[in-house]
Amino acid sequence: MSPTPDPNNRDPDRKENFWVQVARYSQLAFIFPAAVVAGWLIGLALDHWLHTTWIYLVGILFGIAAGFVELIRATMRNSR
Amino acid sequence: MPEQLWFTALLNRLFAGPVTAFLRAIHIEPHHPAAPIPNSLAMEILVFIFLLILFFAVRSRLSVDRPGALQHMFEGVEGFVQNQSNEIIGRHSEAYTSFLVALGCFILSCNLIGLIPGFESPTAVPIVPLGCALCAFIYYQGQGFKHAGIGYLKHFAGPIWWLAWLMLPIEIISHLARVLSLTIRLFANMFAGDMVTLVFFSLVPLGVPIIFIGLHIGVSLLQTYIFVLLTTVYLQGAVSEEY
Repeated sequence: MSPTPDPNNRDPDRKENFWVQVARYSQLAFIFPAAVVAGWLIGLALDHWLHTTWIYLVGILFGIAAGFVELIRATMRNSR
Repeated sequence: MPEQLWFTALLNRLFAGPVTAFLRAIHIEPHHPAAPIPNSLAMEILVFIFLLILFFAVRSRLSVDRPGALQHMFEGVEGFVQNQSNEIIGRHSEAYTSFLVALGCFILSCNLIGLIPGFESPTAVPIVPLGCALCAFIYYQGQGFKHAGIGYLKHFAGPIWWLAWLMLPIEIISHLARVLSLTIRLFANMFAGDMVTLVFFSLVPLGVPIIFIGLHIGVSLLQTYIFVLLTTVYLQGAVSEEY
């Protein structure tokens, strides 16, 4: 079976160059804590807006999930 | 009164009145009404003026037969970014090259201006990398909407429709995390580079700081490259057909 053609005309078998991989992997170290902080900040803003005290915890949990989603997505993309 | 560089002092002497009046008009009280322009903004303005003059100089001397050194250099930079984005985004990547080159030139100039005595790197202040990251964020989201229209929102819903309620907040947070990650990476590296150079310069004023100035140049180039490259990767995610 022939491989599915890339809609953007990229060669699916071509390996990314070394520096592109360096940039992608260097992102992994930052993206997880950044996602947790972003979730926490959104939660805090919603708490402030809705006069509640618990949404920041939900924000942190969603931030952790978002961090994992980005990590898994990046590693899947790199191991393709 | 905050400590001001000579260029900041000059701008504050010329424009402090109108800037303070403008800030008050939008209900922002400046910390120092006599000097509302901080060093980072002054350095950004200086970099902007420098790049504008440079681009006009290149534009006025464009020649097919006898290209000058500046034209060669900018064609090299443009070709490098073009090849890079073509490799990552694929077809139609030419449309994004101008933004990516401008972003790269601005960040690199901001990173390197700190090496000139009497100036400092504006990227070592968090608000400047945040501004660059927000520009990149707004640009790639805009291109996503331009490319797919309202259908771009499907990117946020995830591949499985019945999990959309869960994926939507996760995707929103992960996109905002990209802004934070771009900001912190650039700010932390430039701040640390400045500090290391400063510390060694105060300990051993001769010889040794040259090594760290070299390191600072290397870090400046690498961080600019990573910033532009990640913006290209995010652009690719926004304009690609696949999820």
